[in-house]
Amino acid sequence: MKVYLSGHLKQFAGGETEVSLPGSFTSVGEALGGLWSLHPGLRDRVLDEQGKIRTHVNVFLGEKSVKQSEGLATPVDADELHIFNAVSGG
Amino acid sequence: MPNETLLLVGTAKGLFILRGGGGKWSLEGPHFPGLAVYSAFLDQRKGRNEMWAAPASWHFGAELCKSTDMGKTWDQPEKRRIKMPATTKKPLENIWQITAGGDNDSLYVGVAPAALFESHDRGETWSLNKGLWKHPHRKQWQPGFGGLCLHTIVTDPKNPKDIKIAISTGGVYQTADGGETWKVTNTGVSAYFMPNKYPEFGQCVHKIARHPSKKKLFFLQNHHGVYRSRDGAITWEEIESGLPSNFGFGLTVSEAGSAFIVPLQRDAERFTCEGKLRVYRTRDEGKSWQPLTKGLPQKNAYEVVLRDAVTSTGNNIFFGTKNGKLFASHDDGDSWKMIEGSLPEICCVKAYTL
Repeated sequence: MKVYLSGHLKQFAGGETEVSLPGSFTSVGEALGGLWSLHPGLRDRVLDEQGKIRTHVNVFLGEKSVKQSEGLATPVDADELHIFNAVSGG
Repeated sequence: MPNETLLLVGTAKGLFILRGGGGKWSLEGPHFPGLAVYSAFLDQRKGRNEMWAAPASWHFGAELCKSTDMGKTWDQPEKRRIKMPATTKKPLENIWQITAGGDNDSLYVGVAPAALFESHDRGETWSLNKGLWKHPHRKQWQPGFGGLCLHTIVTDPKNPKDIKIAISTGGVYQTADGGETWKVTNTGVSAYFMPNKYPEFGQCVHKIARHPSKKKLFFLQNHHGVYRSRDGAITWEEIESGLPSNFGFGLTVSEAGSAFIVPLQRDAERFTCEGKLRVYRTRDEGKSWQPLTKGLPQKNAYEVVLRDAVTSTGNNIFFGTKNGKLFASHDDGDSWKMIEGSLPEICCVKAYTL
């Protein structure tokens, strides 16, 4: 699994915007758990304290929006995960 | 040579650090560029000079950061310091206030959703104040335009167990036992937007501040209403004679005991009255107010000053506007000078004598 990060997050991923996750995952939540184990600082930025993807963060599995699918329980059926900040702000 | 003053200016687009003395100012920043900073604090106790700030990302949330080199570098811990416990079932929305406790090592943080966090080891570890979180009123507090926030914390170096807080909307609460129990103290404060105009709680208190030497004397800027308390923020009486409006946000009390506010036209308009930027000062505990205009624009000046954007150190008074203008007075408000004119929207100003 390859994870592509928003540039805003690279300071919490060793300066990289692409992270390779070894192993296989059944759900997006499980894949993100693998990401947190490599780069723990990403967790509090992507998820809120209650374990939900933050309102203004989007996670895509391949081209599928995880929020519009089954959330963190979305089954993994692609080998790319994208984490973007949403187009919002002021 | 006058003492140097340090200003922490939190804006909608980052934190600026200004240093001044003798009328000249230097500026560093923005730190946390692009992020909103609603609270900042310099801990000067025991000469430690530890700086705290709370940048909030629209996307990635709010966090509490620390600098041990006077703001040159900041940490951003992998695991954030301030996190709502899972049992609250709520995420942190913003950090509104960072304040020293009355002892040498405690720190308090006020957040949205309205809650108080405390540290008793100089910020190494933090926990939610359970006494306030379990208060039976909490579930009835309602968010104002800025969210449901605990935005003001007033502590007492002579009695660290005495803490007073203000919540929008909830009102004034205080503890005499270090946060185990909290009582509501809004008697006399209006909530014009509720059927009962003087409820026990639910007031939208924007700021409270304590007199520097008369420890039971407090001032309060309400969402419409300016008040004084002479009994330790328990009961309040109106002090609005001479004001062009009783609406406003920020409030500070100088070393001389003068209280300063910046009245805004009514709730629905929220800009300076008549397009004149006037600070109002009382030197007689609210019996009368004087408009202070020297050095401030008196024509086409439609400014907004937020609740933490009025501050003082000694008799030096500072305030910042949503239009990014930062003003200073070094004579207890008699005259003013703009020291920055094009910062981003100013959310908070904190001043320290170095």
